[in-house]
Amino acid sequence: MRLIYIFLTVTIVAVMFIAGCREQGDSDDGTLTVCFAFQDLETEFWVASHKAITETLMAKGIRVIERNGNEDANRQLEQVRDAITQGVDGIVLIPQDGESAVTIVGEANRAGVPIAVFNRPPSNRSNPALVVVSDNESISEKAMAYMAEEARKVGGKIKPLIVVGDLGDKNAVARRQGFYNILKANPDIFLPHIEVPSKWDSTTALANLEAAIQSNPDVGLIFTSSDFLYPQIKAVLESFGKWKPRGEEGHVILGGVDGDTTAYRWMQDGYVDATGVQDLYYESEVLLGALIEAIEAGEATPEKWMYDLGFALTQANMAERASDMWGCRLLEEAKVKND
Amino acid sequence: MLSKAGKLFVRYFLLSENFVLYLSVLYFVVLSLFIPHMASGRNLTNVSSNMWPLFALVVGQMFVLIVGGLDLSQTSIMAFVSVIGAMLMTSELDPALFENNILWGTLLAETGGPLGGSVLATPVGIIVMLIVGALVGLVNGVSVAKLKMPPFMVTLISMMFFGGLAIFATRSENIMHLPASFVAVGRGQVGLIPYSFFIALILATGTHYILRHTVLGQWFYSVGKNVRTSMVSGVPTQKVIIIAYIFSGFCAGVASILYSARLEAGRPTLGQDLLLDVIGAAVIGGISLYGGKGKVHWALFGVLFFALLANSLNMMNLSFFTVQIVKGIIILMAAAIDVTRNRLIIRGIV
Repeated sequence: MRLIYIFLTVTIVAVMFIAGCREQGDSDDGTLTVCFAFQDLETEFWVASHKAITETLMAKGIRVIERNGNEDANRQLEQVRDAITQGVDGIVLIPQDGESAVTIVGEANRAGVPIAVFNRPPSNRSNPALVVVSDNESISEKAMAYMAEEARKVGGKIKPLIVVGDLGDKNAVARRQGFYNILKANPDIFLPHIEVPSKWDSTTALANLEAAIQSNPDVGLIFTSSDFLYPQIKAVLESFGKWKPRGEEGHVILGGVDGDTTAYRWMQDGYVDATGVQDLYYESEVLLGALIEAIEAGEATPEKWMYDLGFALTQANMAERASDMWGCRLLEEAKVKND
Repeated sequence: MLSKAGKLFVRYFLLSENFVLYLSVLYFVVLSLFIPHMASGRNLTNVSSNMWPLFALVVGQMFVLIVGGLDLSQTSIMAFVSVIGAMLMTSELDPALFENNILWGTLLAETGGPLGGSVLATPVGIIVMLIVGALVGLVNGVSVAKLKMPPFMVTLISMMFFGGLAIFATRSENIMHLPASFVAVGRGQVGLIPYSFFIALILATGTHYILRHTVLGQWFYSVGKNVRTSMVSGVPTQKVIIIAYIFSGFCAGVASILYSARLEAGRPTLGQDLLLDVIGAAVIGGISLYGGKGKVHWALFGVLFFALLANSLNMMNLSFFTVQIVKGIIILMAAAIDVTRNRLIIRGIV
C-alpha cells in the first residue's frame, strides 16, 4: 500500500505540473474550432448531411472535430463534454433523439458554448439553441396529396399503409401526422389505414412490413416515413408479386420523405410516385451561417428555430424540379466522377 | 536471466496486482504531455463522472464473475429499471406519445406517473429502481442456482426479455420531466467531485467489506474456485450464487439511476452498447472469467483505464472507426499482458 501512496503522490504532483505548463503554453492560432457530433451515418440522408456540414465548415476555414455517437445518447453526451473541454468555439449536433438533444444542449448552455441542432429538433425549448428543422408535416402532406390524387384516378377505395419511424423522434411524428391529414381530408378514397413501426431500423421495418402485407395483401398505397426504407419495401412487394411500375396492373402507389438517390432512381423507373424532399443544403447553410454569426458575436446561448419548407417531387413535376432534390444531385455528381 | 533491476521491475510493476493502475497513470501522464486539456480540471471531472456509473456495473458483474457466472442482462436490467423509475417519477407526459401505452389512464396521465410532482418521487423512485434491479437479479440467480441453467443462456434470455419489455412498456418513447432532485444525482457535484463519486464510494466500501471481512465474501471466492469442494465443505452454494446475481441486478439499478439522471430521462434503450465495456473493464482489471478471482479495487482500476482510454481517444480527435480499432487493439494488448503476467507468476520466474 505504501508503494501505491508514493506512486499516486508523485503522479498527482506530475499532473499538476503538466497542467500548469499546459495552461501557460496553450496557444490560439485564431482558427475557429467546431465540434460536429452526429448520432450515426446509417442512412444516405445522414451521410449526405455529414458531407454537406463538414464541407461547408471547412470551406469557411473552420477546424472540425468530428464525433460519432454510434446511436448511443450517453456516449454522445460524453463526446460533447470532451469537446467542450477541448475549448471548441461551437457545436453542431445531430442528436440520437429529441430528448437527448435537450440534455446535450443544456450541457453546452452551461459551458457557454453556442450549439446548433441539425434536422432532429430538441423535444422541448427549455434550453436555447439554434435549430434547423424540416417542416416534416407539410412535406409529407405535399407528397401524400399527390399520392391521393393518383389513388382517386384508380377508382374505388384504397387501403393505405404507413411505415412509421421512431416516434421518439419529432420528425417521425410530424411525418405520420402529414400522412393522417391527407387521409382525413379524403375519406371517400381511403379505407382504414395500417401502421407499420420501423423504429428507423431497416430489419425491424422489413419484418413488420412482411407481416402486414401477409395479413393485408390488398394494400394499394404505401407511404414510408423515410426513403432509406425503400429497399425493404421493394423486397416485400417483390415477394408478394406487387412490385410493379406505374401503368401496370397492380401497381402499389408509393411515396415517402427525404429525397435520396434510391427514391430518385425508382421515380425515374416509375415505381415511386412521389417523395417529399428536405433541402439539406439549405438546412446546413442557414444553420452553420447562424452558428458562425453567433460565435463571432460572442453569443453563448443563441436561440433561433429555422424551417425548411421542402417540396414534393412527383411524377408530374420531375422534369422541372428533380435537380433541386439532393438525391438527384448526388447521383449526378457520382455520374460525373465515374465519367 | 533477468538483471536485478529487471526482476524488481517485473515484481513491483508487471506482476503487481496494481499493474492496471500503474498502467493507467503512466498512460495518463504520457498523454498529458501531448494532448492539450487532458490534465485540465474540467477533463478530470469528465473522466470521473464517466467512470462511476460504469464502475457500479463492473462491481456487480465482478460478483457474478467471482462465483464463476456471467451476467449479460445487466444493460437490459438498466434499461428496464430506467423506464420503471421514470414512469413513477415523471411529472408530465405528452399524450401524443403515450396515449397508446397500456398504462395510460391508470398509472400514467398527462400529469405524469403516480409519484409525479410529489416530494417523495425521488426517494421512492430510487428505492423502487434498486428493488426492481435486485428482483431481476433474483430471477437470474434462481434460474442459474436452483434450475441449473447455464448462466450464459439465462442472462441472454433476460437480456432479450427485459430489453424488449422496456421498449414495450414505453413504446420506444423516452420519458422526460424527471424531478430536479433525481437529475441532481447524476449531474450535481461538490467542487470538481460529482455526486456519483460518493455513491460509487459507498458501493465500493460496502462490497470491499463484504468480500474481505465477511464469511459470505469468502464463500463467493470458494464457490468460484470449486463449487463441488465448497458444497462438501458446507458452503450454501445455491444461496451464494443467487446473492451474487441479486447484487449484480442491484448494481445495474445503481448504474441505471446514475445514467438516467445524467441523461435526464428514462430510456428504454439505455446502455445497449455498454456490455462489452463492462466485461472489458472487468477483465482488464484482472477479474477472472473463470471464477474465484476479483477485488473491488481491480474493478476500479479496470474502469479507470477504460474511461481514460475512451476520453483520450476523443481528445485525439480520431474518427469513430479509428477509435474502435485502437480501443480493440489496446484491450487485446491488456489481455495479452495479463496472460503473460499469469504465466510468469505460475512459473515462479521472479
